Amino acid sequence: MSKQGGKAGAAAGKAKKPAKAGADEKREDVLQAVILADSFQDRFKPFTLERPRCLLPLANVPVIEYTLEFLASNGVRDVFIYCGAHSEDIERYIHESPRWSPRSAVSPFSSLEFIRVSDANSIGDFLRDLDKRNLITADFVLVHGDLVSNIQLDSVLAKHRARREANRDACMTMVLRSVGEQPHRAATARGITPVFVVDPTTGRCLQYEETHPLQSEHYVNLDPAVFSHGQFEIRSDLVDCGLDICTPEVLALWSESFDYELPRKNFLHGVLKDWELNGKMIYAEIMDDGYGARASNLQMYDCISKDVLERWALPFVPDSNLVHGQTYRAVKGASYVEDHVVVERGSKVARSAVGRGTEVGAGSDISGSIIGRRCKIGKNVKIEDSYIWDDAVIGDGATVIHSVLADSVVVGSNCRIPAGSLISYNVEIGRGVQLQSTPTARISLLTDEKQLAKTDVALVGAGGKGALYEVVLDDEDSDDEEDESRDPAVLQSGLIYSLAGLNISTSSISTLDSDDEYDSDDDASLSGALDTRDRHFDRTRDRLSSFTSDDASKPDTFHSDAVNGLVDALRADDNEDFDSAKLEFMGLRLANNASDGAMRRAIAVAFVRRAAELLSPEHGALEPTKAAERAITAKKGAPRFIGDVAVGGEAVAQQVEFGLALQRALLGVRDLGSARAGALLAALLQQFYGLDVLDEEGIVAWWADKRAGETEEMQRLKEKCRVLVEWLENADEEESDEEEESEEEEEEDEDESD
Amino acid sequence: MAPSQPSHTPNLDKLIKSLRVQSLEASIESLIFLLKRRQVKGDECARATAQILRQVVAKSKWHDVDQLLSRVQSAGLRLTQAAPHEPVIGNIVRRVLGLIRDEACEDRNADDLGSEAASDIQSLAPTAPPPQKPALVPIRPAPSILTTGLQVSKSMFNLLSVADPGDTPMTGASTPMSQAQPASVHALRSEVMDGIEEILDEIHQADDQIASFADIQIHPGDYVLVYQPSRTVEKFLIKAASKRRFTVIIGSLDPPSPSATEAPYAALRKKLNAAGVQTINLASNGLMAYIPRVNKVIFGAKAVYQNGGLLVDSGSCIAAHAAHEYLKPVIVLCGVYKFCPEDPSDEVSQGALGNPSSFVSYGNGQAVNGLEIENTVTDYIPPELVDVYLTNLGPQTRHHLASILADHYKTEDIGFSFQLGEP
Repeated sequence: MSKQGGKAGAAAGKAKKPAKAGADEKREDVLQAVILADSFQDRFKPFTLERPRCLLPLANVPVIEYTLEFLASNGVRDVFIYCGAHSEDIERYIHESPRWSPRSAVSPFSSLEFIRVSDANSIGDFLRDLDKRNLITADFVLVHGDLVSNIQLDSVLAKHRARREANRDACMTMVLRSVGEQPHRAATARGITPVFVVDPTTGRCLQYEETHPLQSEHYVNLDPAVFSHGQFEIRSDLVDCGLDICTPEVLALWSESFDYELPRKNFLHGVLKDWELNGKMIYAEIMDDGYGARASNLQMYDCISKDVLERWALPFVPDSNLVHGQTYRAVKGASYVEDHVVVERGSKVARSAVGRGTEVGAGSDISGSIIGRRCKIGKNVKIEDSYIWDDAVIGDGATVIHSVLADSVVVGSNCRIPAGSLISYNVEIGRGVQLQSTPTARISLLTDEKQLAKTDVALVGAGGKGALYEVVLDDEDSDDEEDESRDPAVLQSGLIYSLAGLNISTSSISTLDSDDEYDSDDDASLSGALDTRDRHFDRTRDRLSSFTSDDASKPDTFHSDAVNGLVDALRADDNEDFDSAKLEFMGLRLANNASDGAMRRAIAVAFVRRAAELLSPEHGALEPTKAAERAITAKKGAPRFIGDVAVGGEAVAQQVEFGLALQRALLGVRDLGSARAGALLAALLQQFYGLDVLDEEGIVAWWADKRAGETEEMQRLKEKCRVLVEWLENADEEESDEEEESEEEEEEDEDESD
Repeated sequence: MAPSQPSHTPNLDKLIKSLRVQSLEASIESLIFLLKRRQVKGDECARATAQILRQVVAKSKWHDVDQLLSRVQSAGLRLTQAAPHEPVIGNIVRRVLGLIRDEACEDRNADDLGSEAASDIQSLAPTAPPPQKPALVPIRPAPSILTTGLQVSKSMFNLLSVADPGDTPMTGASTPMSQAQPASVHALRSEVMDGIEEILDEIHQADDQIASFADIQIHPGDYVLVYQPSRTVEKFLIKAASKRRFTVIIGSLDPPSPSATEAPYAALRKKLNAAGVQTINLASNGLMAYIPRVNKVIFGAKAVYQNGGLLVDSGSCIAAHAAHEYLKPVIVLCGVYKFCPEDPSDEVSQGALGNPSSFVSYGNGQAVNGLEIENTVTDYIPPELVDVYLTNLGPQTRHHLASILADHYKTEDIGFSFQLGEP
């Protein structure tokens, strides 16, 4: 009612001074914003089973409050909210909010509308729907419902307008926050590293790629068109706040491409790639001050919570009390407490925020944590770097380290909740339960299908409630065809960013200067490399000169497809014929224009994988020689295929390459000790020798080749073949049997030590 | 920037422009969030509070003085809670409450007397707001002219408004309930609003009035140390520069930001240099070395507490201590409206916390991960380090603070935030 009054008044105000046309706010000068309140992702599960991401509390404030307040602080007047999952919850929250409700007289927005799209499966669907509705009349701000930012958009908006006036094709400006070259928690937490190629003089974005540590190809392929610009920078040090200033043409671009789903990976990448077709230009505004980040996964949630506590996002700090009814104040120890918080004598609260009505028992130690309202924390409890939402109960002597405990969780006395645990709503953990840190405990009352899960007493203890929540990965970000272990969503689903237990290939680092373009295959398993991300950047620069000759992206898909095809053919028991597999392989090769090297690699990996599989207990635990024989000769035509395609001729050099390929493929096989791998390599070589695929010269040349021993592991594998090689060199001895071989091996080892 | 590109960021001026068309509640709420988001801060707070309270008096529904008082109290409480780091808001609220009490008391007297002439006299004399107490003030050049000017217009207004109840003397004297009430409400409303206008004028002119004492305080050849000069201090120096030749040493805390194109306080230095005054920029760690050469130290205060302690920008405390050690006079510039009738709380003496990014860039990953950075943006200076309080009513010493406070605030309003209790 009063809002309408306000509007009428505004109109009257306009009528009063029509002379000042420039200063008067025309209707089209009203700043509009679109909030995407669903991301179609699973990264916050199990918490998002019951509540949408944008209503999860971040520093005890629902995430969407930050976004709305950000828009209000930038003078946005019209807001459209697109909701997907849990749309009723979000609508109810907003309608009940005294500040944001469209009926509220005090709302800073002149209008706030919800738009429901019944059949939306992606953000792309939202934006295509928005295009149809013709609601957007001028430049608008596009944000996600999980944005936390204090950036003032005035200067960005002005620059955007100036660019658009200069050139109508400048359709979008992205706001990015630079986080420097050093490892940064906001950069680590995002999992996927966006790579922006930007013209530093104009700020125009030329190309966009995404990299993540799990991919086999650690290169970014630059579009040749990029080089037509005088100057460009490749930036991987940017935090993408998902904050865009768009013209209505952006929506038209979305509509033109019905298959775009994600604003960055699909839309931005696609529009920039097809620049010559659409002529649209997108600019990046790189901020060196201000704060901007999206709580796009639990690690970012962790990071932003810390930033809010440490006041990086001022005025978004607890003691600003931006939400009605909050009464935080700063106290000693860089902490914030609300009214009616009882902290008993002898307990310590440091770098934390504690909500109203929470009681902390004597001798407890809370640091770096955010605790909601009405929680009961017992005596001698230790809580570190954790997020505990409302109404949780934590028994005496419990320890909670770097975990998220949702509403109404009950943790029994003397429990231990290790780092990375995610405990969902209403779960109860029985007395004295020590949760395991690996695999990460995700405990929920509900299963992924929102059914009540059967309580797992072994996990939550007697009197507990809840079961392990199985992570189902069907993240929108991931490509369905990708191997599951290579899905970057794995990196983003947990609270702690960790590459432990994942296969990270760092091969590209070691082969940087190598002329061989062997890149890691799926199974190359080397550990460490947390900081590969930072090195990517340097490497992309190093590789700039060689981009044209680089067919690196082709072997990537070719390799995995070819390997899978061959292994499947080798596994097939009912079919003796290898011709169809061969045909398929050659087809793939032609389709991808794969190099000889790539084929050799694929074949080597396929056979090695099959052989290694036969070694394992579930496939009969064959001896290495038997396994090698079975793998190679089980199918008619397979040896010939290897001889023709993989080795590709009589030349010694090609045989050496194949030997190396085998050796590397073996290195990549998981769960295979180096002794067994070495034995298998020897057996395979022997088998190939027997089948005339390789000849003596070839094997001896391989033995002599220095690449075969360039790393310690390679050397270790190679050592196991010494017997074979010596036997070949002497050439007149008969086939030795296995026992002899192993005995001789030991002798060899002794010789070595001498 | 071209004028055709309007700024969308809300600020105080936009709020004041929209006051006319917005509902009262929306205005209060907008200011609360401007305060919470730090989009209104520092000296703007006083003006903003007065403007909003003016709207409360003008727009809210009230039938008697008590209702008005409670309206103002509750609005004031919400504003003070929105920005506990800005004590000036509370001062303005108290001033307005005191004003209402004065006007109400005077109205009652007028009604009792019943005669038109008497009411006229009454309205002339005590409506002059309490701040001006000639006894205390040795020199009062500008303000007296100004206030008399205002009084003229005010008494003319009163002539009409007081005449209203005078038309119906029967009811006015004996039954003040039915008809007289709306009329006196109307009168009270306009009187209080005029009073708030005066407070706004006072706030507006305080800096100029303080600056008018500049040539008395600064002598030719002086070396004056200022620390992070506020607008008040800048005006003061520029005014002094028009009459005196002296040297200004500008201490500042902020490390020069890489994006800044100019040295800190370049605008001020240009103006001073144009007037023939030398300026020297100093990083705060070089302060101590210059103190022996300095003749006086000048600060602008954010607030002055009952005990004489100051709320100032962080870093000033070092300068004050240094000056104290070398027995150099410390002069504090602040309008009377910044005098708080309360003692500093614990939070004040600890200092308010700001954004750490003024010291460490958020782009510095290792520092963000590994350091706990506490950036206190305010300091508390204990009273014994301050020698002179230079107000718009002239220079004062600590011993006179109590009487100034007594003149400006009513005792019943001092704890106004406690009277309402928790919402």
